[in-house]
Amino acid sequence: MADPLVLDGCSLTLDDVVAVARRGRSVALCDASRARMERSYAWVQRAVAGEVVDQHGDVLPVYGVNTGYGSLARERIPMSQACELSWNLIRSHAAGVGPSLPLDAVRAMMLLRANTLAKGASGCRIALVELIIEMLCRGVTPVVPSRGSCGSSGDLAPLAHLGLVLFEGPSGEDGGGEAWFEGERLPAVEAMRRAGLSRLVPGPKEGLAVTNGAQLTTAITALVVEDARALVLDAEIAAAMTWEALRGVRRALHPSVQALRPYPGAIACAANLRALLEGSTLVDSVPSRVQDAYSLRCAPQVMGAVRDAITYAARQVRIELNSVTDNPVILVDEDDPNKAHSAGLFHGEPVGFAADHLKLALVELASLSERRVYRLTTGALSSRLPPLLPAPGRPSLGLMMPQTTAASLVAACRQRAYPNSADTLPTCEDQEDHVAMSTTAARRASEILDMARRVVAIELYAAMRGVSWRAQESGSPGPAMGAVYERLIGHCEGAPGSVVEHLSQTMAAGGLRDEVHAHCTLQEVPDA
Amino acid sequence: MPDDLLILDGAHLTCADVASVAAGRRVGLAPGSRAQMVAASSGEAARSGHEVLAAKWSWLMGTPQGEGAQRIFIEGHCSGVGEPLPVPQVRAMMLVRANVLATGHTGCRPEAADLLIDMLNRGVTPVVPTHGDVGAAGSVPLAHMVYVACRYGGEAWVEGERLPASDAMRDLVEFAPTELEALSLINGSSFATALGALAVVRAEYVLSAFDAAAALSMETVRADSSALNAEAIEARRHPYAARVAERLRGWLSGSTLVDRRRDPDSFSIRCTPVVHGASWEALAHVRSVIDRELNGASDNPLLVSTGWVETGAFHGAPVALVMDHLRASLTVVAGISERRTFRLTYGKLSGLPSFLVEGSGVDSGLMLAQYTAASLVSEAKGLSHPASVDNVPTVQHHEDHVSMASVASRAALEVVDILADVAAIELLCGAQGVDLRMQAGETPGAGSRTWWEAVRARVTVWTADRTLHPDLEAVGAAVREGVFRVQP
Repeated sequence: MADPLVLDGCSLTLDDVVAVARRGRSVALCDASRARMERSYAWVQRAVAGEVVDQHGDVLPVYGVNTGYGSLARERIPMSQACELSWNLIRSHAAGVGPSLPLDAVRAMMLLRANTLAKGASGCRIALVELIIEMLCRGVTPVVPSRGSCGSSGDLAPLAHLGLVLFEGPSGEDGGGEAWFEGERLPAVEAMRRAGLSRLVPGPKEGLAVTNGAQLTTAITALVVEDARALVLDAEIAAAMTWEALRGVRRALHPSVQALRPYPGAIACAANLRALLEGSTLVDSVPSRVQDAYSLRCAPQVMGAVRDAITYAARQVRIELNSVTDNPVILVDEDDPNKAHSAGLFHGEPVGFAADHLKLALVELASLSERRVYRLTTGALSSRLPPLLPAPGRPSLGLMMPQTTAASLVAACRQRAYPNSADTLPTCEDQEDHVAMSTTAARRASEILDMARRVVAIELYAAMRGVSWRAQESGSPGPAMGAVYERLIGHCEGAPGSVVEHLSQTMAAGGLRDEVHAHCTLQEVPDA
Repeated sequence: MPDDLLILDGAHLTCADVASVAAGRRVGLAPGSRAQMVAASSGEAARSGHEVLAAKWSWLMGTPQGEGAQRIFIEGHCSGVGEPLPVPQVRAMMLVRANVLATGHTGCRPEAADLLIDMLNRGVTPVVPTHGDVGAAGSVPLAHMVYVACRYGGEAWVEGERLPASDAMRDLVEFAPTELEALSLINGSSFATALGALAVVRAEYVLSAFDAAAALSMETVRADSSALNAEAIEARRHPYAARVAERLRGWLSGSTLVDRRRDPDSFSIRCTPVVHGASWEALAHVRSVIDRELNGASDNPLLVSTGWVETGAFHGAPVALVMDHLRASLTVVAGISERRTFRLTYGKLSGLPSFLVEGSGVDSGLMLAQYTAASLVSEAKGLSHPASVDNVPTVQHHEDHVSMASVASRAALEVVDILADVAAIELLCGAQGVDLRMQAGETPGAGSRTWWEAVRARVTVWTADRTLHPDLEAVGAAVREGVFRVQP
């Protein structure tokens, strides 16, 4: 087990998110964060005690500490009810519906929430962050329904479902939350007991501290960004295999050509395809062919645009990973007796845009890949490969249906690509009159990624089948693609759906990238 | 669920039947269909069918026919990927395909239908992946079904256990399909149609719940019932709007809350019959298409009085279009419902305390219920993007226009499920509003009171903040069970 990831509110990376969410890396809190948290917490305690006053000596309103929530901020809440206010927020905001989120998304959301609190601008106790961290380390994962968040003022409902596990009421009441522990779905109280953890009674402002901010949006988007960065490399490997199978023309990939239209993604994609095809005698082997079809020739332009879109999304997510998203924020160093600033840092739009843009990029990655599958399986287009690519030496339907399946997946991706960020509905008596719908965008992006990966797997399958037929002809693939072929061709027997699933899982586990690593170095999609 | 046997005759299957068999009802084959199937699969019909098939088969397979060709053909179509479909969806598909065979136009022997029926009755449900079908010709989900049915491979659920096909099918009569049967079992839009039938039944429950919820909202905001005036509504000539208005008039009858004439109500209240009526009409159209399709010969080639003909009867466009329509039309009603929920929770617009809870701001009441409704409506809007307008050419540009009906149907089931909770939220808020009105000495109409009671049988009045999620779950479940169902 690696050293614990130390949260300081400033340096969380995408890789850290994946390590904690999926690989169970342990987490700790840095001392500097503790000190910052202590100061903002102390200020909130003074506000609760009525010590924060204006020039007339009147107690200042601090949103969500001594006021109601949302449009109820017009109501002043007595100090004696500050804890009740937090506990009520957690329970009344636990308004999620629908199927439960996958565990990695919930774990990533918890990590992000702990990191934003570690910035020390939320005025909550250190113990609260420590409890989230302990839940991560011991594997207590709240059951969080997937639907119902508007992404503003954050992922209120999903985070409130986390709150139902973290907290109990002032008299020890249970809020009715649930959590996964060691593979079992349990009442929250039981899960925490088995993990040896005690729940907290929410203190003043701690309801807001747990719920304000688009951490679920960001958690899912972060995981999609990392998966998409890997998928682009797999798609380049699959495309290179198609180049081999179709005896593609490499001239379109020349660096001097790409430099004439210097998008970084296109330059990197072309470089990777060149590296993957190095040493091939199948490519550039049809003297009469001047240029290939768009699905090959324009691969650097389309897949390069996909790369650039992912980089944009990665940059947005990296900023968000280390942001304060609370409201109000407590700025202890400001020279103002009122350290609480009500602002709009929770709004999910910046990450919602990223998620919507990822959707578009992944749809196009899949769409282009499907056209190469079509080419590979269409006799008139495939440089004399047998129509539909039957297995050599025995009767079969060939890859007629995998291509159809790829077409279906692309259509399903497109059907779900509508930009959710483009929508909004007024909420909370028109106080929250523009919301992000970013969570939906992120969830759709995750679904599209899963489908896009299957399309790329189908391309790899078809392209390897094409390369099989080239064995009887002149020319052979380069060492990188040869290695991938040798490793995987033995897994291409049986019902085609099972083959595609196997290839898809191999890709998700990094098998393709590992295989080419010995032969060439691929340029990754930059994450900033 | 009816516990009698559902008899398939290739002519009378309905959406409700599909839902009942999906939930476990047993099935039989009508003697008339059996006789038709025998006639279409023997003698001259069989001989000429074999000739037609031979040409088609060699085109499809590119190889000589022979032993094992059926298996190669079916296995080659098993290209589905993704999570397994829920058992009720697979059962619905098996039923719909069996009924297509029962039309007698496909040339299958009755044993082919018997096989699927036997599996349904013994609870053997093939594991079928979610993705991969384009809703035209060779159907991927049907192929996964046949793969198991013919014991070529794959897996099946039996009493919750996932077993290899050979184990799951052990006690059933073995069936070896002819070449024509192998083709016929998988050549059609039965998957999208089966899901469409389930979507229609569930959509009716949800649309009913929106009507019931609107009554509670109208009580809560003291609606002016002149917007329900029969003569005025009928002057617009939309029959379903008139029916919604009639229902609402009935439910509101006797209420002390409505009919206090003042400024006209907002659109979300006043236009309820028009908007809900438009969606009911859409559902009626969708149902009529699906009902027809359930009994239609979705296959190729087809046996007609003059012999075998090659047609395009497998194309899923009719299903795709109505499934796209169903999503959009339900989402419109959910959109107006969410605006009513917004109104109910908005103190200045409802005349009741903000978020329908008395108090000083310590309680947020039903604030978040409206957020959830807004999120769900927005999600449904996104998923209402049509699938049928898309096309990706397949099979060497031979199958160059496909329907994407399966994408449309899957999304329809998803949208119906999402919107059930939007109806539940309006019911929850409307019941809460009626409670506050009743506490002030008012009386809702007797019909509205019935809906209020249905909510209160599951969820108590909100007096101080508590965990909202169980309330949403309880009313959402009631909507999905059809507790609020009305006669369209």
